[in-house]
Amino acid sequence: MNAHYFFPPAAAYALNRCLFRLKSEPAYRSRFVADRETAMTEAGLGPDSRAALVAFDRDRLVALGAHPYLVFMADLRLKMERAPAAFERF
Amino acid sequence: MPLVAAVACPHTPQLLMRPDTEDRDLVLRVHAAYARVKRLLTEARLDAICLVGGDHVEGFFLNAVPAFAVAVGETVAGHFGPYDYRFPVHESLARAIVEQGIEREFDLLYTQDVALDYAFYVPLHFAMPDPAVPIVPLYVNVYLPPQPTPRRCYAWGRALRAILDARPERVALMASGGMSHYPGTDRYASPDFEWDRAMLAALREGRGAETARLTGEELDKAGNVELRTWITLLGAVGDARADVLCYEPSWHHGNAMVTWPVR
Repeated sequence: MNAHYFFPPAAAYALNRCLFRLKSEPAYRSRFVADRETAMTEAGLGPDSRAALVAFDRDRLVALGAHPYLVFMADLRLKMERAPAAFERF
Repeated sequence: MPLVAAVACPHTPQLLMRPDTEDRDLVLRVHAAYARVKRLLTEARLDAICLVGGDHVEGFFLNAVPAFAVAVGETVAGHFGPYDYRFPVHESLARAIVEQGIEREFDLLYTQDVALDYAFYVPLHFAMPDPAVPIVPLYVNVYLPPQPTPRRCYAWGRALRAILDARPERVALMASGGMSHYPGTDRYASPDFEWDRAMLAALREGRGAETARLTGEELDKAGNVELRTWITLLGAVGDARADVLCYEPSWHHGNAMVTWPVR
């Protein structure tokens, strides 16, 4: 059985670093929302990673070595940034 | 002063910020269980909470991946959307855990500068006792393989119990995590609730020591990589019988709140 959470391949470090910053660094996330291309260039992403991230295609991102949890939470944090009113706060 | 309370709880951020994908009544039932924990912790007249949390690649990224880590700064802070949290750390207790943990041959990482993960602040948002007490964040690597083995987590919990029992403070040990969920994977909408229920039944019977014999592969398969935090706590409470305050299975998550008597 393939593990749901696998050892992150070194070749995907820049992609995982970018997803980590989208998840955890509000300033980087805001820059990404405002100017995605510049933010991805800053992250040092290659063409495959850029295309997968623009589409936010989970399967492609994971196939490129992205950590599934980072994909999940980067996506949620981007949604929270773009539509904060869609969440009920407690 | 021996350990005075032991609790395991969930921390899914949808409990804090609810999107319309989440059943509001279920969320409120989990909040009600948190309220029971808050009363329990308040009545325990604590000096500190030691909170074992599974890191969601927040405190630690791929530049450094510790199996177990202790936050020993003056404070720890975390942010989630509009929420900003900062908690004082019980520095002398945190330092004693590091020093005595190392002495007991657990090669711990310690840090005086680390981001607080939501595994820590979501439970504290709902269950911090009144008046509030300082915390000791105890990080466990749950998402970046290879994670620590269940056997090692259980042994770390046993060592923690011995360390805490020799301290003067009244301490609650909390474990934050689980139960079954598979964030970011194909199985996100299909948690293994049967596995959770069987585990809770075993814990009710005081069979927590059996968790030390689980494998990492079993935890990954069951969507319970975060159960390493509970297994750490189980090392501290031994064969005490669990009191399950709630088990609320949502479409993506088994939300469980459990306490153990400590003696």
